[in-house]
Amino acid sequence: MGMTARDLMDTTFHTLLPQTLIAEAARTFMLASEEQKQRVFGMMVIDEQGRLVGMLSMYDILLLLRPKHIHIWGEMIDIDMGGLIDEACRQAKSILVGDIMTTDLITITADTHLQMILDIMIKKHIRRIPVLESGKVVGIVYISKVFYHLVQQLIE
Amino acid sequence: MPVIDRKNVLSGLMVREAMRKLVTHLPMDASIEQAARYAIKYKVNAILITGEKLEAIGVVSKTDLMGAYYAGLPVETAVQAIMVGPPMFCQMDDSLESALDTMRNSGIHRLYVVGDTPNRAAGVLAYPDIVGLLYRYCHKCEKSITRLRGTRSSDDLAGQLMVREVMSPSVLAHGADDTLLQVMEGLASHRFGAVLIRESHGLPAGVVSKTDMVIAYKHRIPTEAKAREIMAHPVHACEQDEPLAMAIQKMIFSDIHRLFVYKEHPHNIIGVLSLTDAARVRSGSCRACTSSRIIEDGPRG
Repeated sequence: MGMTARDLMDTTFHTLLPQTLIAEAARTFMLASEEQKQRVFGMMVIDEQGRLVGMLSMYDILLLLRPKHIHIWGEMIDIDMGGLIDEACRQAKSILVGDIMTTDLITITADTHLQMILDIMIKKHIRRIPVLESGKVVGIVYISKVFYHLVQQLIE
Repeated sequence: MPVIDRKNVLSGLMVREAMRKLVTHLPMDASIEQAARYAIKYKVNAILITGEKLEAIGVVSKTDLMGAYYAGLPVETAVQAIMVGPPMFCQMDDSLESALDTMRNSGIHRLYVVGDTPNRAAGVLAYPDIVGLLYRYCHKCEKSITRLRGTRSSDDLAGQLMVREVMSPSVLAHGADDTLLQVMEGLASHRFGAVLIRESHGLPAGVVSKTDMVIAYKHRIPTEAKAREIMAHPVHACEQDEPLAMAIQKMIFSDIHRLFVYKEHPHNIIGVLSLTDAARVRSGSCRACTSSRIIEDGPRG
């Protein structure tokens, strides 16, 4: 029996609610990074019944903060780019996690093999996969964990 | 009416130079909730609806999403129930002039650009893309006033188009205590993208746009809620004697589609300037590069 998600997954993790404001979600990202002692770049979104309904990544937030017409401003060096970002942040204030989260999710179970996890991460370009048991989230596997586990074997 | 447009800055430009290559699309069985989420997340005004082979079959715009909100459709409803189709296409090598003509004649705000595969969108062209292209030309021009810092002399302003020459001289306003249903009726009947919201004493209080309605729909706010609950403020506005170039800069800078126009005092709103209006002034923002500016009537942004 090889290594499975059960051996690799983190079972302590922060989650977000769909109705959480983006600014609040950003605070949770920072808090999670401090408590987990590693930078957290993506979080699971769980509804009030405990069901996984989405994922919010750093990319989703960056997409929201990217000024819409950046292709126009990007080439103008005399423009105050700081003001552009301030304006984007102001407009993002009423946006909720549920408005920008990704809902097209791939999940695994605790018994999913390492090779399968690696294959999913490469094929689907994803860095973290929720682990479900009977529909409930029991953990999350990060690509860094997979990488360092494999690198360790390579060294040995 | 004969049109002489040899000095028009759009002359010779093709659709491929202004179009965006990323087309936001969803399958026809996706929910309205998903379409609203895409409109918010990707900051787009419309989503292309595709069939099994990614062929374009329809479009769901913020106007359609607002219509569904008004009609009380559950957000779980499939987008095919509200999409409008088929989408209108243009070719990458069409002139921007002809694309603008098609948009104006058909009363639409965007054209999809067909690529190598028939009926598949390789890009999309909308009014803000054209304004963006024009703005880049104007900004690089040696006569550009957008690069000036501090006060502008009358020499600097000579030849500049002013906001009042391009704006729509009518303003749709609702009371801050009007319901979202009432505001939606106003938006739909005037084909406006946003309305001014006034307090009971008449002063401007905020703005409610179709985007705000889509967000309210997504957040399941009842349509009986008051406009003040969802309005954005402050009101982005400019003076009627502001150069058009500066107004366009403000709009693009603030990611907004329109500016309210005031006379003498910000409380005295007298018109609206939209990116659509600006796109219609096909030669950019000053008279330096054209003797044949063409301003046409068409749908209001």
